Amino acid sequence: MTFTEIINSFKTKLNPSKFMYSLEKEAIFYSESENSTEENNSGENLKSNPSFNSGDNSVNNSNAEKISRNKEVPLIKLTNVWKLYQMGEVEFAALKGINLEIYEGEFLVILGPSGSGKSTMMNLLGCLDIPSKGTVYLNSKDISKLDESELAIIRGQMIGFIFQSFNLLPTLNTEENVLLPLEFQEEDRQIARQKASYLLEIVGLSEKKKNLPSQLSGGQRQRVAIARSLAVNPPIILADEPTGNLDSKTGDYILDFLDGLNKREGKTIIIVTHDLELIKYATRVVYIRDGEIEKIEARTKDEPGTENEPNLN
Amino acid sequence: MRNSTYLKMGLNMLVHSKLRSWLTIIGIVIGVGSVIGIVSLGDAMEANVQSKLAEMDLTNIVISPGYTKASSNLHGGPPPGMGGGSSTDSELTDDDIDALQGMDSIQYIAGSISGREEVKYAGETATLSITGVDPQVWKYMTSLKTQSGRLLEPADRYVAVIGSSVASETYDQDIGVNQVITINNKSVRVVGVLEEEGMGDDSKIYMPIDGAVELIEDAKEDVYDSITVKAKSEDLIDELTEDIEKKLMVSRHIVQEDDKDFSVIASKSMAESVTEMMSSMTLFLGAIAAVSLLVGAVGIANTMFTSVLEKTKEIGTMKAIGAKNRDILMIFLFNSAMVGLVGGILGVILGSFVSSGLQAMMGSDMTGGGGVRFTLMLEGLALAVLIGVISGVVPAYRASKLKPVDALRYE
Repeated sequence: MTFTEIINSFKTKLNPSKFMYSLEKEAIFYSESENSTEENNSGENLKSNPSFNSGDNSVNNSNAEKISRNKEVPLIKLTNVWKLYQMGEVEFAALKGINLEIYEGEFLVILGPSGSGKSTMMNLLGCLDIPSKGTVYLNSKDISKLDESELAIIRGQMIGFIFQSFNLLPTLNTEENVLLPLEFQEEDRQIARQKASYLLEIVGLSEKKKNLPSQLSGGQRQRVAIARSLAVNPPIILADEPTGNLDSKTGDYILDFLDGLNKREGKTIIIVTHDLELIKYATRVVYIRDGEIEKIEARTKDEPGTENEPNLN
Repeated sequence: MRNSTYLKMGLNMLVHSKLRSWLTIIGIVIGVGSVIGIVSLGDAMEANVQSKLAEMDLTNIVISPGYTKASSNLHGGPPPGMGGGSSTDSELTDDDIDALQGMDSIQYIAGSISGREEVKYAGETATLSITGVDPQVWKYMTSLKTQSGRLLEPADRYVAVIGSSVASETYDQDIGVNQVITINNKSVRVVGVLEEEGMGDDSKIYMPIDGAVELIEDAKEDVYDSITVKAKSEDLIDELTEDIEKKLMVSRHIVQEDDKDFSVIASKSMAESVTEMMSSMTLFLGAIAAVSLLVGAVGIANTMFTSVLEKTKEIGTMKAIGAKNRDILMIFLFNSAMVGLVGGILGVILGSFVSSGLQAMMGSDMTGGGGVRFTLMLEGLALAVLIGVISGVVPAYRASKLKPVDALRYE
């Protein structure tokens, strides 16, 4: 099968309303399915998802049923988490006893000014670092008890990272960048390429497969990064100021896309930012200041503007 | 992560690497090139010597007066009695031949004399080396062959067999068989011209010893400059050499090794020492070339360290999206191995040029010609890859141990 055939078969065979659903379950190429227990019941919303260039702009406001499963067992749980840095002779606490529970299907925005400890928190949530005191549980597993390679496996399978500065590998082309996480998981080449071209189709970059990151605009790069973060189909997407380096229009597109992932697929989205604008997408906002949680605010999600396709560039 | 992926990533890094990496590669190219060039030149020279030695008669043992181990075979200096060199004024005589005569392993034994005399031909004079040999046995003992005429016969007296360069180069006019040359005012008829031998043997004149003794000024009857023994077989050489020494020591009334006034040298052991010398020379030159390889290795290590530093953020990113420490280690190791490999390939090519260039300069006389052995090429490649891996180990290890948080924060 060639790519075009695969893509065509996707386009024709799959009802767009089941598109995301298929990403989760049906498509032959998703073998790992740690998150596939989730029932997708929001298919009818897909038309409004900016990731589908379906040309169907009909406004569909029917809200996704709140993904409310697993409310009892948090996906990520921080209990009395401290992170201390040695600054010369002084010990500096970047986080001071954080307690936070993040549930599956949440769209969490962690909001704080610079120096508030939000980046430290993102590192802990992303299993990039372990706490000095306290415990971070991911899927009820204490990450401090894992060694470096186990953490790498968790990162590789559970978490999709989106960075402020995109962090694409400059020497790999678009497709190779998206393939990279799959290579780390030793995914079958054929399947991996199918996944990659599918994901690039979703983010609208099928034409740019062979381009190097330096030949792409900022927005395009971030879309590649998103495709990369989705490659292993992780349950959690962790974004660090994903729109920080983008103009507001492109930023909106990215956020709408993430919002779509959250709504239609029930992916847990965690965004770390200082940008108040972003809270409109959030189901919960965590305000953080000086290493402590100031307040946690649950929100009813605003509907993202769906009347117009966001400018892709 | 699979090996093929490591390979791909390493290759990707190499392809996108900067000028700096290519400069590093040049270091390896020069190193591998010079090692390959010199070793294969040495090979060629050794093979050439070997083939020359194979033609040589290895059953000969030469006894010469004086105990100068290194150069007892080189004549032409002042004859014994003049106190030349480190040799004492000992001489070899008929007594010595008599003492050895009748030993089981000896097939032939003969004394010879030599000296440099003026040889005139067609109005020209040249000083040439004259060797007086026993015409009875010479033709059985020598490995020399004539290109025209014949070797010496027992009845000969004032005749000569001349080397090829005496015949065609020494004098303006070529000397042919049955021409007459004048040695010390005595007319000598040429009965044979030898085939070309190389190694300086072509400008010699061989005569029956009875005639030569009259023509060579310092020569005396029954006194020899050397005695040549031909053994019945090559296997007996070592034993025979020892036996000859013992026998001569007895017959010459010598008690201590230190007082020995003669040397016994088997052509076989000379052949061995020549071969040995050739290979140790190759080894020595190769060692010098290896130093440049070492410098190349340091260059790779240096470049790899810089590369790790440069790619810190990428390493952080890869770790964030699931790369294990081992993955990072392998990617960098594959990269440095490939730097070595590319350097090795170019180095082998360079080495072939260097080798053929040097061989051309030295002439086919010294070397057998011929290119670089295939196994040597493979060895060169393997060496280059090995050097790449070794010099990449530490930088790659450091890259793999980077903490993802720190690596991501690196600008």
